[in-house]
Amino acid sequence: MNPVAIGMFLAFVVATLCISYWASRRTHSSQDFYTAGGQITGLQNGTAIAGDFMSAASFLGITGLMFLGGFDGLVLALGAFAAWPLLLFLLARRVRNLGSFTFVDVVSQRLERTRIRLVAVGGTIVVVVLYLIAQMVGAGTLIQLLFGLPYEVAVIGISVLVLAYVTFGGMLATTWVQIIKAILLMTGVTITAFMVMYLSGFSLETLFATAVAKHPQGERILAPGVLFDSPVQVATILVSMLFGTLGLPHILMRLFTVPDMHEAKKSAFYASLFMGYFYLALVIVGFGAVAFLYGNPVFFAGDGQLIGGSNMAAIHLATAVGGNLLTGFMSAVTFATILAVVAGLTVSGAAAISHDLYAELLCKGAPDPRRELQLTRITTVVIGVIAIILGILFQNENVAFIATMPMVVAASVNFPILFLSLYWSGLTTRGAIAGALVGLVSSVALIVVGPQVWVSVLGFERALFPYDYPALFTLPLAVLVMSVVSWLDNSERAVIDRSNYHSLLVRSEFGETGRPPPVARH
Amino acid sequence: MDEAAKLRVIRARTRRRFVFTGITLVLYFSFVLNWTAVGDSLAERLGASHVTGSLLMFVSLVIFFILLELVFLVLNQATTRSGEES
Repeated sequence: MNPVAIGMFLAFVVATLCISYWASRRTHSSQDFYTAGGQITGLQNGTAIAGDFMSAASFLGITGLMFLGGFDGLVLALGAFAAWPLLLFLLARRVRNLGSFTFVDVVSQRLERTRIRLVAVGGTIVVVVLYLIAQMVGAGTLIQLLFGLPYEVAVIGISVLVLAYVTFGGMLATTWVQIIKAILLMTGVTITAFMVMYLSGFSLETLFATAVAKHPQGERILAPGVLFDSPVQVATILVSMLFGTLGLPHILMRLFTVPDMHEAKKSAFYASLFMGYFYLALVIVGFGAVAFLYGNPVFFAGDGQLIGGSNMAAIHLATAVGGNLLTGFMSAVTFATILAVVAGLTVSGAAAISHDLYAELLCKGAPDPRRELQLTRITTVVIGVIAIILGILFQNENVAFIATMPMVVAASVNFPILFLSLYWSGLTTRGAIAGALVGLVSSVALIVVGPQVWVSVLGFERALFPYDYPALFTLPLAVLVMSVVSWLDNSERAVIDRSNYHSLLVRSEFGETGRPPPVARH
Repeated sequence: MDEAAKLRVIRARTRRRFVFTGITLVLYFSFVLNWTAVGDSLAERLGASHVTGSLLMFVSLVIFFILLELVFLVLNQATTRSGEES
């Protein structure tokens, strides 16, 4: 074990636990718990969004893909980045003006409350659980490699820490954990990129020339085609990443942690700014990994593979350009990254159950505040325990496939419901439910018969569906079903749904004095 | 602001949103051109340098999207100051 990594990791844990203690003294109500009382500033929230979204998958995964295939790895970087402008243009104002705690609040304002909440909460829970499994399995494996801990101990350790943050400090503690992590991650990436450039004589030309000379694919790594060879394949990734991000419940929830719509828009902009910088720095880090790792036997096992797999390329690069100090720092940052993302997911899952299901459905929007907060904390613990169990159960599964599913499901279920309920007056409850179910079933089915499950997990020779990310097909299908069923819907409820749109539209644009806004006819 | 005026403002804002969204989506999906015959020239090096058109496109898109957001926010502020909002 690297003593620097352990020291930095302990410093991070102590600092974040102190923050949780501080936050717990300020968390008295469910609003404090879910949205930090709505008192986070735009800059803080933008940094926290960046901290929430720049997961280990972004940092380690994209660097690893660039190490393997050069330019092609940037497809995922662009996919992850481009959602933020759209969040600002399409969703920030309207979602912030309409919701209280979760995006489900928004969609249930004009559609039939009970049924649409059940469907939207279902979508939220599926996305949160799948995302959680992917994070826990990835985290367990990573911590095992970085710190030499047994897999189970790593998974339990992460859950216990996250539970300490979230159960006591709620969204306020989670926000500050994410802010610290974002700053640490950007510092780490900046130092690594700086060292790569320093060792390349501050010349991009030298860096690219060295990378081309060292990589087995030579010059091909500077252009498309090493990892992906079909435009449809690339389009499937771009659609899933873009619209999946716009449907992620734990990201949308962050829009409610700021005091007003102006701060929500600023949040989206700052998040873009930080992530734009991060992904541009990854270009240097990715090609740096190619230039400084290939040909260095220290980082390769006897079978010629990179030690720990391509996902460890960023950590090995830190060792190559910064020695033990930078490796220790980057290992601790990676651990912080995982904690911050899991904390955000846990708050989101707890809100879906205690707010969307208990407070809004079972208590008809008038719960006993103390009981709701108590239930929220219990739900958080239950989610933590579920995360440990699933993390251990799925430890031998293909993480890539588990990580694919939440993005595709969010793109095919959550995004179309949210977008159409905000922008199309014709949407009805029946149409939204039919489309969401078709989106859910088709996305899960196509992932199962796709290469990640059908070939890699189930062992068949050829996949029945050729693409890993089917949202290019399932998102339009869900929207089509929502549109056609809504258009054909002549029920009494459909008349109410359509007539609710006007008041929702005005409120979504002009907001209201006092929260939460009055609910339309149900 | 009366109801009709509010609707006019909403229509203007929605138009602006869709214009910015349209530009973003067109540019975003134009990245796929890199994997088609139409975009073959993007894969070429720029002069004698190792930088290819594809790499330049990635960097340009990220920077352009950030600038686009900035323009959107400035436009929103300008229309707010000119009394569009209540």
